[in-house]
Amino acid sequence: MAIDTFIFVLISGIVLGGLYALMAVGLSVVWTTLDVFNFAHGAFVALGAYVAWQISQSAPGPAGFALAAALSVAFMFAFGFCLHFGIIKPFERSPNIVLLAVITTLAASSIIENGIQLVWGPREKQIDPNIDMRVDFGGVAIAGIDLLSLAVALLALAGLAVFLRRSATGRAMRAAAQNREAAELMGFNVAFLFAIAFGIAAATAALAGVFIGSLRFINPSFGADPLMKSLIVVIFGGVAQFTSPIYAAFIIGIVEAFSIYFLGLYWAPAVLFALMIAVLMIKPEGLFGNRQKTL
Amino acid sequence: MTGELLQLSSLSGGYPPVSVFRNVDLTIGKGEAVGLFGPNGHGKTTLLKTVAGLIDPWDGEIRFDGRRLNAEGVMAARISKHLNYDLFRRRRIQARDVVRAGLIYVMQGNLLFPEMTVDEVLHIAPSASRGRSGVSEMQSLVRDLFPRLRERRHSKIRYLSGGERQMVSIAVGLLALPRLLILDEPTLGLSPKLRLELSEAIARIRDAQVPLLVVDQNVEFLTSLVDRLYLFDHGSITSEIDKAHMPSHDEIMTMLFGSAP
Ligand SMILES: Nc1ncnc2c1ncn2[C@@H]1O[C@H](COP(=O)(O)OP(=O)(O)OP(=O)(O)O)[C@@H](O)[C@H]1O
Ligand SMILES: [Mg+2]
Repeated sequence: MAIDTFIFVLISGIVLGGLYALMAVGLSVVWTTLDVFNFAHGAFVALGAYVAWQISQSAPGPAGFALAAALSVAFMFAFGFCLHFGIIKPFERSPNIVLLAVITTLAASSIIENGIQLVWGPREKQIDPNIDMRVDFGGVAIAGIDLLSLAVALLALAGLAVFLRRSATGRAMRAAAQNREAAELMGFNVAFLFAIAFGIAAATAALAGVFIGSLRFINPSFGADPLMKSLIVVIFGGVAQFTSPIYAAFIIGIVEAFSIYFLGLYWAPAVLFALMIAVLMIKPEGLFGNRQKTL
Repeated sequence: MTGELLQLSSLSGGYPPVSVFRNVDLTIGKGEAVGLFGPNGHGKTTLLKTVAGLIDPWDGEIRFDGRRLNAEGVMAARISKHLNYDLFRRRRIQARDVVRAGLIYVMQGNLLFPEMTVDEVLHIAPSASRGRSGVSEMQSLVRDLFPRLRERRHSKIRYLSGGERQMVSIAVGLLALPRLLILDEPTLGLSPKLRLELSEAIARIRDAQVPLLVVDQNVEFLTSLVDRLYLFDHGSITSEIDKAHMPSHDEIMTMLFGSAP
């Protein structure tokens, strides 16, 4: 393997890792706060991408792309916030909420997918970010949009970490995640905080969707693959800390890039699943996990 | 004294379908410190959790400063194997309203937020009292009462000892500027030294004019602390004792169990 090929594969793995981190963090924020697994996460990615595509149709140029991304993220935050009250909140005091949430989030996912199909049709689309710049890395030219997606993903993750660790609302959210009763006794509106968590998950999914939609073609059901990848990342890394799925995402991204290079597109998922099963056997709480599950 | 601070009238509740306490009448006047004493497992915590709004009362009334905190009427006991009525049932009391009214409950054996640091927890604690006057005075009282928390401010709650965790819980309650502070077994499971330290802190909280309702298994501590004592047995209040007639440990045992052990 020539050194420039190596650098190219490595960088594309890291770029992939940034997107996976963005998606997996959304999944793990919901899992750690609401205690439910959100099967609609992939549909959030897809809807976010389509909303951005729609806006970018009437807003040209790189500024239009930025506007489309921002509006899509804001829209998806509101969407997730409201959706929580429809599909999670009614069951919060039910003893079998985990199972009920599997069903309601799967239902939401299917409704969103079909809604996308209804509105935008089944034909594949691609968001044009209008960024033709290329950056040279030791003789390897990397597309500007790749680097932009990595930078934005890292910034968004850092922003989210600061929000959770430093802001009063973020701290209240972590408190509600760790001990719901104690948070209620401090006067917090736990349902509102949970809705914010769901909104944040949808917003990060949308941001990932915007970049996926500008790197490859999208169709109404393309969210299934991101959902699968985030699932692998979350299981692989564990959710002991905000950062554990992030590390895992970069490892998975790099492993995937190299497997695609060496084994081809069809075998790459098998490698990831084998890796995930190995981790499940050796360290079931995830590579960076402990038995705690916190935000 | 015009009007009572807390007034429970024939309050009943429990964990459906199990009834835990029945027809509880209890009043706390403004500026009073009141004790609640009773055997383990007879429903004191359940009663207090109900008052705090964590579980729904079945029947009766919770009034705080003249305002009714729970919904009117009797909770319909609809339990079905086939239908999930919980989906449609509205809460009959909201912890948020209770806290906002100034009734602060410090839970028994509160684990708080295991992965947050002491500082983070104390930072979000005054959320219920934000904007009210007296926050900074309370902050300095808390600093005075629990100097140990300052030393441990960067530790996660998970790594605190039981006594330190109890201190954080009480501090969190105080920072909400309680108009009535309910402490549920604050000295449970502590070493004698820490027990003494916490008892002294609680006496100082009383001296700072914070109305108190304290549950504790230590009769001597309780009788020295409070103005009035309620005895609680099998889910009901069985007697009410004034400061002037505060009985000894043995007398209380006789009242509760018939004969001194
Ligand atoms: N979450 C729950 N679900 C069902 N029953 C419960 C629950 N919590 C407590 N109980 C039962 O309610 C009864 C009263 O318990 P509670 O904790 O209120 O008593 P307590 O007087 O506070 O006891 P202690 O002095 O040990 O704290 C007990 O029989 C207990 O088993
Ligand atoms: Mg108790």
